[in-house]
Amino acid sequence: MKDGLVGLEIEERGDIVLAHVTGELDIAGAPHAGERIAEAVPTSARGLVVNMSELDFIDSSGVAMLFGLVRRLSSRRQELRVVAPKGRPVARVLEIVEFQRAAPVCLDVDAAVAEID
Amino acid sequence: MRVQARSLAYLFIAGAALGLLTLVFPHADDVEDVALIVLAGAAAVIAVAMWVWADRVRQWQLHAALASGTIILSLANYYVDTTVIYPLMYTWTALFAFYFFRVEVALAHIALIAVSYALVLILVDPPSAVVRWLLAVGTPLIAGLLISRLLGRLRLGVHDAERRTRALQESEARTRLVLDGAPDAFVSLDRDGVIKAWNSAAERLFGWSASEAIGVPFRSLVTPEEFRERHDQRRIALIDVPQVVAMQRFETEFVRRDGTRFPAEATVSKIEIKGEPFISGFLRDVSERERRQQERETLLREQAARAEAERVAELVSGMQLLVDAALQNPTLDKILEDLMTRVRGVLQADAATILLADEDERLSVAASSVPGASEDGAQEEPEPIALGEGFAGRVAQAREAMLAADPKPEDLPDPALARLDVDSLIGVPLLAENKVTGVLVAASIAPRRFSSEDLAVLRLAADRVALAIQHARLYEREHRIAVTLQRSMLLDEDDIPQAPGLVVAARYEPAATEADVGGDWYDVIPTPTGGLGLVMGDVAGKGLAAASMVSRLRSALRAYALEGHEPARVIEQLNRLVWTEGRDSQMATLIYMVVEPGESRIDWVNAGHPAPLLVNGNGSPHYLEGATSVPLGVLPFPSYETVTSTMEPGSSLVLFTDGLIERPGELIDEGMAKLAARVQEAPDDPEALCDHLLRTLVPSGGATDDVAILMLRNLPVTDRFRAEFETEPEALSQMRSLLRRWLGHAGADRRTISEVTTAAGEAATNAIEHSGVAGEFEVSGRIAAGRIELVIRDRGHWRQPREGDQGRGLSLMRALMDTVELTPSPEGTTVRLRRRLDSDGGT
Repeated sequence: MKDGLVGLEIEERGDIVLAHVTGELDIAGAPHAGERIAEAVPTSARGLVVNMSELDFIDSSGVAMLFGLVRRLSSRRQELRVVAPKGRPVARVLEIVEFQRAAPVCLDVDAAVAEID
Repeated sequence: MRVQARSLAYLFIAGAALGLLTLVFPHADDVEDVALIVLAGAAAVIAVAMWVWADRVRQWQLHAALASGTIILSLANYYVDTTVIYPLMYTWTALFAFYFFRVEVALAHIALIAVSYALVLILVDPPSAVVRWLLAVGTPLIAGLLISRLLGRLRLGVHDAERRTRALQESEARTRLVLDGAPDAFVSLDRDGVIKAWNSAAERLFGWSASEAIGVPFRSLVTPEEFRERHDQRRIALIDVPQVVAMQRFETEFVRRDGTRFPAEATVSKIEIKGEPFISGFLRDVSERERRQQERETLLREQAARAEAERVAELVSGMQLLVDAALQNPTLDKILEDLMTRVRGVLQADAATILLADEDERLSVAASSVPGASEDGAQEEPEPIALGEGFAGRVAQAREAMLAADPKPEDLPDPALARLDVDSLIGVPLLAENKVTGVLVAASIAPRRFSSEDLAVLRLAADRVALAIQHARLYEREHRIAVTLQRSMLLDEDDIPQAPGLVVAARYEPAATEADVGGDWYDVIPTPTGGLGLVMGDVAGKGLAAASMVSRLRSALRAYALEGHEPARVIEQLNRLVWTEGRDSQMATLIYMVVEPGESRIDWVNAGHPAPLLVNGNGSPHYLEGATSVPLGVLPFPSYETVTSTMEPGSSLVLFTDGLIERPGELIDEGMAKLAARVQEAPDDPEALCDHLLRTLVPSGGATDDVAILMLRNLPVTDRFRAEFETEPEALSQMRSLLRRWLGHAGADRRTISEVTTAAGEAATNAIEHSGVAGEFEVSGRIAAGRIELVIRDRGHWRQPREGDQGRGLSLMRALMDTVELTPSPEGTTVRLRRRLDSDGGT
C-alpha cells in the first residue's frame, strides 16, 4: 500500500506486528504513515517492528513519526524495534538523532522479532 | 316507265268504258252482252294493275299489256260484229306504241292488230271486209307514223339507234380495255353473286382466267370459308340499298388459286343496269401495304421502346448522379453542396434548395444553389418552416412529390429564390425511417412545367439521398463525439506535467481531411515517486470505437500507473483489457515509460509501437529498437518485460505515432531516416523541436493521418543550478530528485548525495512550514573548489526551532553538512549549506 511516496505493509507474526516501510518518508507522508502503523497495533500485541531496511529516505518528520510510535507503545507497555541495516541512509539519520536511546535499532527483522520474544 | 303505265291505264279504262256504253245505248240484237262485259272487265283489271304498279312495271309487261289490249279489242270486234267504231280504237294502241316505243316495236304492234283483225273479219265475214280491214289497220298505221314523224323519231330514230348501239359497243370495248388494263382487279357480280366480269388484273391476282371465273359464284371461288357469310351479307345489303348507285370500301381477305391467302382492299359499288342491279368492284392486294404498315408499326414500336429505354436510362443515370452525390462525399455539407449542383444539372433547373428537418419537424435551408445568391454573402437566417407552410412545408406534410406553377412569394422555401422570377417548382420529401428528414426543391425561372420524368427521378433519388443524409448526420454526430472524446483525452500542450530536470512537450496534429478520428494518443502521468509516466499509443481503427478504446486504456493506465506498478505489469493489465473487452479483435500499440528525475534512465515497455528515437547529448540520434513486444490485444497472456535504457542528461527522446514517418508511396525506413535527420538538425528545446518536426515532416497540405509527438528531454546538468518550488510537501521529493541529479553531476558519492539531500530536505521542510498557504521557495546550488554550496531561500518568517521533533531538523542539517548558515530577515529566511565533496560530513 502506497501513500504518496511511502509504501506501507503490515504483517502479523504471532502477537508481534511488523510494519514494512518503503519509499521516501518525509513530511508529505510521515504523519499519515505513523497513524496507520499505530492503528495496526492492537492492545493485545506484544510489540511492533518497524522495518526500514527498504526505506530510501527519511528526514526529521520520519524520525518524529518513530518517536511518536515509541511514546504510544510505551504507554501501553508494548515493545518497539526499528530495523535499519548499517550503511543505509536511514541508519545514518537515526544515528545522528540518537534514536537508539528511545528504542533499539536492529540490523534485521528476525533479530528484532527475536528481541521482543 | 311510270308515264307509259299510267297512259296505258287511261287507254284501258277508256276502252272498257266505251264497251259498256255500247250496251247502254240501243244496239243490235246479235250483240253478245255478256262477252262485252267480260272484256270490259278484263280491260279494267289491266288498267287498275297498270295504275297501281306503275312504278314497278317493266318494259315487257308494257308490251304485253298493250298486246293484250289489241287482243281484247279484236275479241270485242268479233262479238259486236258490225260496228264501225270499234276498229278505230286500234288507233289508240298505235298512237300509244308509236308515241312511247321505237318505230320497229310500234310496227310490230300494228302487225298484231292487222293479224288479229283479219282473223276477226274472216270469222265474222261481214260485207266489205277488205275495206273494213284496210280502214282498221291503215288508220292506226297512218296515225302512228304521223305521230312518229311529228315527234321527229321516224327517220332519225333509226340512225340514232344504230349510232347509239355502236357507241355503246365502242364504249363497252373501251371500258373493257380500260378495265383490263387497270392495275387493280375488276370484278362484277350479279345479284346472286355470280361473276359477270373478270379483268386481266383479276386473272393475275387470283390465278383464275376470265373464262374460268365468269359464271361462277364469287364466294366459292375466292372468298375464304370464314368470310363467305360476311360476303353474302355485304352483297345483299348493298343490293337492298334503295339508291340506284351505292359504293363502299372495306378490307377483307381472299384466296388465290394456289390456296394462298392475302389481305385485300375492296371498293365495291352497286349499279343498276336496266333495272338489274350489279355489283362491281375493284380489288387490291394490300399485303405489301399491310407489310409496310406492319414494318412501320414495328419501327414505331421499336422507336417507342428505345425512347422508353433511353428515358429510363436517363432517369436512372440522373438518379444515380444524385445518389452518388450523397454517397461519394465524406461530409454532410459536401453531400448537400454537391447534391444541389447535380439536381440543377439533372433537372435542368435554375435553382435548387434542400431543407432539413429538425426534431420539431421544422424545415430549415441546409444548402442551396441559387444563381447570384452567394454574391450578397451574409444573409438573414430565415425562420424555420413549419409543416404545411409554404411549398416545402406542404411537400413535407403530404409526404408526396409535388409540382407548383407560378408560386406566390410566401410559398418559396428559400428567401434566396425570392429575387428570381420563379415560374415553377418541383419538390420531393426526403423520407428516412418513415420520418420526413427534409425536402428537396428545384425551381425553374424559364417558363416550363417539370415533367413526370423529373418527378420520377427525384422520387427515386430521394429515398437513397435521404438515407445517405441520415447516415452523414449520424456520422457527423458520432464524429463530433469522437473528436470531442479524443481531444478531451489529450493533455493540453501547456498543461503537461513536468518533473525536475526533465522537460516534456507534446503535439497532436489531426489529419487534414475531415476523415475519421484516429486512435492516436499520448499521456503524461506524474508518478507517486515524483517521476513521469510517458505514454504514446495508437489504437487500431477509427472513429468512435477507437476513441472510446483510447479512453478506456487511458483511464486504466493512469490507475495502474498511480499504484506504482512497474511498466511491464501495467502493460499486461492493459493487454487484458484490450483482449477481453476490445471489439472486433481490436488492437493497440503502446509505449509506456517511466522516468525518475535525477536518474539518467528510463524504464519502459514497447507493445508493438514504432521504436522511439533517442538523441544523445552528442547529437547522434538512434532508434531504441529491439525492445518491441507484441501489441495489446493480440495474445491473451503475452509476456512483457520492462526494459531499462540509459538517458543521459542532455539527451532527448522522441515518441511518435506512425503518421509522422509514414507517407503514401514511401518506405517506412525512409520516413524513419528523415525523422532522425530532422531531429538532428533541430534545436534542443522540446517545444521548438516538436514544432520543427511538424513543420518539416507533415506535408504542407496537412497530415494525411493523425500525428502525435511526445518529446522528453533530460536537461543537461551544469555546475550551477537554480530552481523554484511550491511550498507544499509534495515539492520535497521533486527537490530531492533534482539535487540527486545535480550532486551526481558534481561527482558526489552515494552517501554524500543521500546526506546532502537529507540536509537540504530539512531546510526545505522548514521553508514549507514557515511560509503561508501558497508560496514558493528557491533552491540554488553551485560547485566551487571541491565544495558544494546550497542555498534554500523562502519568504516566510523563521521560527526558532522548538525542542523535540521540530528541533531535530536543524540538528540533522548541522550533523550532515560542514556548515549551516541561517539568515532570517523580514523578507524571508535563507539557509546556506556547505559541504566538501570528499568530506564525511559534519560532526
